Amino acid sequence: MVTDRIEKIRQNYINSKPAISYERARIWTESHKKTEGEAIPIRRAKAFKDTCEQLKVQIFDGELIVGATGEFRKCGILTPEFSWTWVDREMDNFDKRVQDPYIMTDEQRKFVRENIFPYWKGKSLEEMFLAQLPEETARVAVDTGIVDNDSKWRQAVGEITPDYQDVLFKKGFGGIIREAQEHMRNLNDITAENIKKKEFYESVILTSEGIIILAHRYSEKAREMAQNEQDEIRKNELLKIAEICSRIPENPPVTFYEAMQLVWFTQVGGILSENPLALNVGRFDQFMYPYYKNDIEKGIMTKDEAQELIEALWLKLSEWVWTISANTAEFFAGYNQFQNLTVGGKTRDGKDATNELSYMALKATEKVKTHQPGLSVRIHQDCPGDFLDAVTNLVSKGTGFPAIHSDQAGYQMLINAGYKPEDARDWNNCGCVVPHFRKTGEWTSAVNINFTAALEYALNRGYSRITKGKIGLDEKDPKSFESYEEVEEAFYKQFDNLIRHSVISTLHAQRLHKELVPRPFLSSCIENCLSEGVDLVDAGAKYNLGPVLTGIGLAVTSNSLAVIKKLIFEEKAVSIETLIEAMDANWEGYEGLRQIALKVPKYGNDDDYVDDIAIKMANYYYNEGHKYKDINGNNFNTAFMGISNYLPTGKVVGATPCGRRAGEPLSEGVSPFAGSDTSTPLAALRSAAKLNQDVHSGGTLLNLRLNEELVKTKRGQRNLGNIIQAFFSLGAFHVQFNTISTETLRKAQENPENYKDLLVRVAGYSTQFVNLSRSMQDAIIARTAHESM
Amino acid sequence: MKACNTGFFMSPQNFSVNDGDGIRTIIFFAGCPLKCKWCANPESQSYNNCLVKEYSVEQILKIIERQEIFYRSSGGGVTFSGGEATLNPDILRELTNILYDRAINLAIETSGYFNFEEIKDILEKMDLIFVDIKHMDENKHIFFTGKSNRIILSNIKKMKGLNIPIVVRIPVIEGANVDDHNMAETAEFVKENIDNPKIELLPYHSFGDEKYEALGIEKPSRNFKAPSVDRLKELKKLIEKHGVEIVSYN
Repeated sequence: MVTDRIEKIRQNYINSKPAISYERARIWTESHKKTEGEAIPIRRAKAFKDTCEQLKVQIFDGELIVGATGEFRKCGILTPEFSWTWVDREMDNFDKRVQDPYIMTDEQRKFVRENIFPYWKGKSLEEMFLAQLPEETARVAVDTGIVDNDSKWRQAVGEITPDYQDVLFKKGFGGIIREAQEHMRNLNDITAENIKKKEFYESVILTSEGIIILAHRYSEKAREMAQNEQDEIRKNELLKIAEICSRIPENPPVTFYEAMQLVWFTQVGGILSENPLALNVGRFDQFMYPYYKNDIEKGIMTKDEAQELIEALWLKLSEWVWTISANTAEFFAGYNQFQNLTVGGKTRDGKDATNELSYMALKATEKVKTHQPGLSVRIHQDCPGDFLDAVTNLVSKGTGFPAIHSDQAGYQMLINAGYKPEDARDWNNCGCVVPHFRKTGEWTSAVNINFTAALEYALNRGYSRITKGKIGLDEKDPKSFESYEEVEEAFYKQFDNLIRHSVISTLHAQRLHKELVPRPFLSSCIENCLSEGVDLVDAGAKYNLGPVLTGIGLAVTSNSLAVIKKLIFEEKAVSIETLIEAMDANWEGYEGLRQIALKVPKYGNDDDYVDDIAIKMANYYYNEGHKYKDINGNNFNTAFMGISNYLPTGKVVGATPCGRRAGEPLSEGVSPFAGSDTSTPLAALRSAAKLNQDVHSGGTLLNLRLNEELVKTKRGQRNLGNIIQAFFSLGAFHVQFNTISTETLRKAQENPENYKDLLVRVAGYSTQFVNLSRSMQDAIIARTAHESM
Repeated sequence: MKACNTGFFMSPQNFSVNDGDGIRTIIFFAGCPLKCKWCANPESQSYNNCLVKEYSVEQILKIIERQEIFYRSSGGGVTFSGGEATLNPDILRELTNILYDRAINLAIETSGYFNFEEIKDILEKMDLIFVDIKHMDENKHIFFTGKSNRIILSNIKKMKGLNIPIVVRIPVIEGANVDDHNMAETAEFVKENIDNPKIELLPYHSFGDEKYEALGIEKPSRNFKAPSVDRLKELKKLIEKHGVEIVSYN
């Protein structure tokens, strides 16, 4: 059981709706009004420091780890420098929108419309992006669901892992300031580059001062509250908080508690600086263990106290909310901030890395059932049986956690991307399923690409069946295709075109990020940025990877090509005219044909007929994506990630030859199309493992639903562990399971009040089932539940 | 070895976790010498129905090959079941020899109704034998299954000499064999005739009813019922009292 204190905070987390705070945006805007004309990194750093000086400090009831991003406990902030127009357009609807609603009052709306938005008019990243993007690309890539990268021009990048081991715990922000000053003193040559570096170091000093000031304000606040506190126990806790915040994050932490508080202040700094997606905690069990061990050995802290602090951090990570547009929310549903936290795996020198904290992290998620952190485990082939049991035991609780990753495949993905072996062994997850490393700058979810749309355009002369608009390239009348190869060629032609627009759109966004939104605070958490004096936006990290293109609809597209190949050209059971007419009619009046199409082999059943088509497509995608270079000269990377992108991308594609109806979801990552993996989960695993997953350095994702009966017993859990190991030995990277019964999910739909803490896996992450829109819930229920036989 | 035999099977079942250790593939042979009134797999009682298909040894091996990776990690393997696998000894032998040479863990689930000498070489290659005792009373056995239990009981005695782990399975059916007397006698027999005596209780279920419908034949009597949870607990105690271990693959 959790302690009373944690339970109270947990109840708050479950029961309160996120509210929007404009405080950060207000201070940020006022600061920018005062710094007109100054260098952009300096302006952003000053705005950050002003925010740290002025933002209301709030210590909520019972908190052990402190630091709030606004006045509300469950709080989202605004970042108008990235985009304000969507907020202006959508905020009247914030509390009513279907996916991820927020509370915002009329007074708040009035204030931001009068005092914040006018300043940013014409200056925001979004406006500049839309003004600069070529019309031809905009038609394909702006709010279409075809090529979608709006999270990279309406939002900050995030997608970073602060380096606790080599930067933050070693130096503290005080040490970072001293290091920046030292570097500045040594920049003697008068060059344009050095001027830029000086600006960078100045900006880092400002943000570091900012976060220290914020902590000191918390220290004062805690001391003040302690004076008025009647309860002796709480009084002492507040005094302890005051003491910790006076030292941390200025100085390196000494105790576990201090290290935990430093982690949270780093998150708060990251959030205030840019409202980031995927600000990852990283390898928590590795960088926290020395502090844990020391405190336990010296009797500074008990194991129970450590567990409570971990749970307190989990709740803090879950309370802040990523404020996003309705469009982005469709792609990233469930108030998810994607703060990934990775445990297990191997050490830098290749030994088993699991320790007590690895287990305690799993325990914390089981106990508090928060959707954050995005708990990931790395499983290697010699992983201790106890740890694998702890993992499958958590799976059996039906939280959808943890995301289970192959240690070896993650390593290989980074080796393929050019990492040194010991760095590759030290990988952590970013966001949902991206192998990442704390000395890396990259865009891990740069753009979503709708594979199935490419097939639609190939078979519909470049036109969309849904909008009737021409989005694809010219193509001949589909009824004149004479061979499967011809269809395939037409598909790949459209496919290449979508990739081309993805790259164009990303390059434009990258250029604007460099110009407009340097990231001094987060750059200060990255070793090489500090030593070289180069911001993350200018590729200052040790490793800079090209942006990741995420493919959506691999299964649906492969299944559809299989139907065309088999029914039209091999068996000649149906003419292409009839099939096209059936697509045009959304299968209405063609149910007989649809049933025949449904019987053609489907990806996810270990059937080479269709799996071979998927393998070819995945390999082709890798080669095509890698042709392009990003703004820093790095190859683009490919991924088959999930997020919730298979829903919005499905809405914009008409009926498909595989039997899918217009508007229905596509398929996520390397997962089968929902309900079409009718054999066994083992067959689904084998299909997914056939794809050469380790070349897709942006990550691959497989979601399966398991009947809860299957993992109810210890034996069942061990069997699942063995299945996972077999899957990984085939070269696969990730699998995650939902083990809730369909019955439970239906009950939760009927009585959401009683199921507020029911976590389900959406795609690369888990979230509260009741926080999902009805259509999202239905999509989850539709995933095949693999029955135990 | 070149495989050339074919035989009649129901759909092989991958990802079975209840018929032996680890993750297993169950090969269901069609055809059965018994006609149990409660049979859950009525399609197994003939070779000629919509749920039975002819497979070559090669086809069966191909199915198994795709699952081997899961046996390896889980300590699983292949379980021969039915129907009654030993009713088709040639193809059973061929499969057994090939899989044995590939070091795949093998189990058989049998009614015990076979000619021991004829299939002894097959049984010797098993890692685990599941054998049913449906009733100790000969007349009742004949009544419920159509055959005497004498051969079955004598075969179980002979199996002892094989030095292979044996689990005796009892289908626990209210209205057939669930009385204390029969259960005590079964336990005693198992204790006397098997080293490391183990019994697994399989409570009756009516999941087979759909198959009866699909085959268009009459369903089992309504008098057959699953035992209550409490009754199962009592039986467990009763059997353990006789010095027999109760095991479960659930």
